[in-house]
Amino acid sequence: MNELQQILDDSVTRLFAARVDREFLTATEEAGFSADLWSLAREQGLTHVLVSEQGGGMNAGWADAYVVVRACGRYAVPLPIPETMLGLWLLERAGAPPVDGVIGLLPVPIALAVDGTFSGDMPRVPWGRDATAFVGTTDDGRLVCFDTSAIAIREDSNLAREPRDDVRFERARPLALQPLDLPLDAVHWFGALLRSAQIAGAAAGCLELSVRYTSEREQFGRLLSQFQAIQHHLAELAGGMASVDTIAHAAFTAVDDDGFRTGGRDARFEIAAAKCRASEAVEMLTRISHQVHGAIGFTYEYALQFLTRRLWSWRAEFGAHGQWGEVLGRTAIEQGGDRLWACITN
Amino acid sequence: MLNLDSLRFPRHALPSALEDLRREVRAFLADALVPYSAVVRSNTWDGFDPEFSRKLGARGWLGMALPKQYGGHERSALERYVVVEETLAAGAPVGFHWIADRQSGPVIARYGTDEQKRRIIPGIANGEICFCIGMSEPNSGSDLASVRSRAERVADGWCVNGTKIWTTNAHRADYMIALLRTDSGGESKHRGLSQFLIDLKHTKGITARPIRDLTGRGHFNEVVFQDALLPADALLGTEGEGWKQATAELAFERSGPERYLSCFLLLSRLVDEVRDHASPATLAKIGAEVAWAATLRNMSLAVAGMLNEGIDPGLQAAIVKDLGCQFEQRLPGLAQELVALEPTLAGSGSDYQQVLGNLTQLAPSFSLRGGTLEILRGIIARGLGVR
Repeated sequence: MNELQQILDDSVTRLFAARVDREFLTATEEAGFSADLWSLAREQGLTHVLVSEQGGGMNAGWADAYVVVRACGRYAVPLPIPETMLGLWLLERAGAPPVDGVIGLLPVPIALAVDGTFSGDMPRVPWGRDATAFVGTTDDGRLVCFDTSAIAIREDSNLAREPRDDVRFERARPLALQPLDLPLDAVHWFGALLRSAQIAGAAAGCLELSVRYTSEREQFGRLLSQFQAIQHHLAELAGGMASVDTIAHAAFTAVDDDGFRTGGRDARFEIAAAKCRASEAVEMLTRISHQVHGAIGFTYEYALQFLTRRLWSWRAEFGAHGQWGEVLGRTAIEQGGDRLWACITN
Repeated sequence: MLNLDSLRFPRHALPSALEDLRREVRAFLADALVPYSAVVRSNTWDGFDPEFSRKLGARGWLGMALPKQYGGHERSALERYVVVEETLAAGAPVGFHWIADRQSGPVIARYGTDEQKRRIIPGIANGEICFCIGMSEPNSGSDLASVRSRAERVADGWCVNGTKIWTTNAHRADYMIALLRTDSGGESKHRGLSQFLIDLKHTKGITARPIRDLTGRGHFNEVVFQDALLPADALLGTEGEGWKQATAELAFERSGPERYLSCFLLLSRLVDEVRDHASPATLAKIGAEVAWAATLRNMSLAVAGMLNEGIDPGLQAAIVKDLGCQFEQRLPGLAQELVALEPTLAGSGSDYQQVLGNLTQLAPSFSLRGGTLEILRGIIARGLGVR
């Protein structure tokens, strides 16, 4: 890690490790959005990592942002920090004015009416009810931003009991509408990128809890971690975590190379590989973590399930492994077998 | 307490200058591999062709990271990495020089005497010397420290008795680096082991008996030493330090891209095989393996970067080998799930069927050679602090 990444890592760890525990997560599921934690995160600039210095941000790259997004996964942070980070980046990249507060991402491109307004339903928008603005793309590839003046919310949640709301727009007039040099379904691609890092983080959390629990709990007169069967479970968990962490980080780094702007090779192969691997890993990560924890891991008496329920949700959000595998499979076939190696190395 | 940083695979981007080397290697292979059938290419590092190895040597692509003064090329470990991954991915027959280039050369460069380096390394760099590994014994496999073959000091050298087994290429190799017991070692079985550089072509009392494996071929051997007399300078490194040296040798053996590329040719053939009738579900399954290949390549490259920077990648290398072997081993099964063609023996059926037949049979060895899955998981568990 470079110096900035080390600083970011220290500060997110300090912020979240002490505050986001089982009691906090249990309470937040009832009470909803924690304005206190949000303002602390905002003060530390976590939502503005990718924003330029003139814009009041850190002017950091995606490889730096990786540290923050992964930490949001590792501590099961119940806030739309990654989503807002992406929304602000998209706004600035398109040259649109920034917005304050929570950004709700519109997961699919929208079609504007001839009068320039948007009417329609956006399903399962993360933290839709808490958003002060919505950011997405139009079906002709422009960035679009709305305020909340012409919307109706139908509340829903994912398995982690985090808000995933259906948002109905009624003749909503964009606050901003700007050309954007990204794929027209950019929110889908970058949303998948964010979730791959959150899965890597939650995987690390699962591994930590599993190592700790099996190193404390005794059965048959010895620690669980002294049983070879348990050791091999933990080794498998570590490999799964490391594989997701490596490819997710590679994808964030590839975005920094910015082939989207330069017209060179863009990050889509790495993003697809990262979300595919991350989503596929969820089954093994959650199965083994719960297996080594026994019944306690299945309850609200213990922190594991806050991570595993997020893993199950994030697996599907912005496309599960089947969908991203199809993208990669199609790429491989279009390139042809003889070009597959070049595809992986170039 | 678990330190997650110890599990990190530091991102390693290859310097762009290496891409020129990569292009050069690709261009060379595109020509040089024309005469080899698909099924022969699917043998990768089991493929044995002295002539091909000499061609690579002539290009300066063997012994790349070994000292110039002894005939090496003093190029970086990453340059060697590029050559190795390109030859493996293309299915080049690299078996003749494989052990020498990967581990014997580096071990001799690190522990050998001036005379040993002068005598051996030029031949390794030229692709003219074939090495084999004398570690496993009939009663000593994964529990390597229990080796019983002995070297006893005699008037003008060493007298060796015992048996090595699973010794790939021993019947046609020039040299073996053998791990032998030189002292009872008292209570510790790790002490009292030493490494020896054995000239197989000019030493009496050594018999290599090929062991036919399930593919019908015989690259495995049982090697029997009966009062084999070695000169005094056959000792490699320090007497009694053999365990430490062999462990260092195993680190070379476990850390390379060969730990996930054995079935790469099958994956690329499979892509072509399903091209015209791939359902979304088929695409998704192939895509998931493409994601694995990309992931393992990033992890393997991180290990190479760590080695290049002098950081011990023992834990990371064990993880890559564990995951890499699982990847290699599931591909033949996946191919049969997706394409209704039987695996065939070499010489019958399509190229794809022959490659599938060959790799289906070879696959069990992937998680046995160079440290079994169980040994690797033990190493990973130790890295997690639970062992």
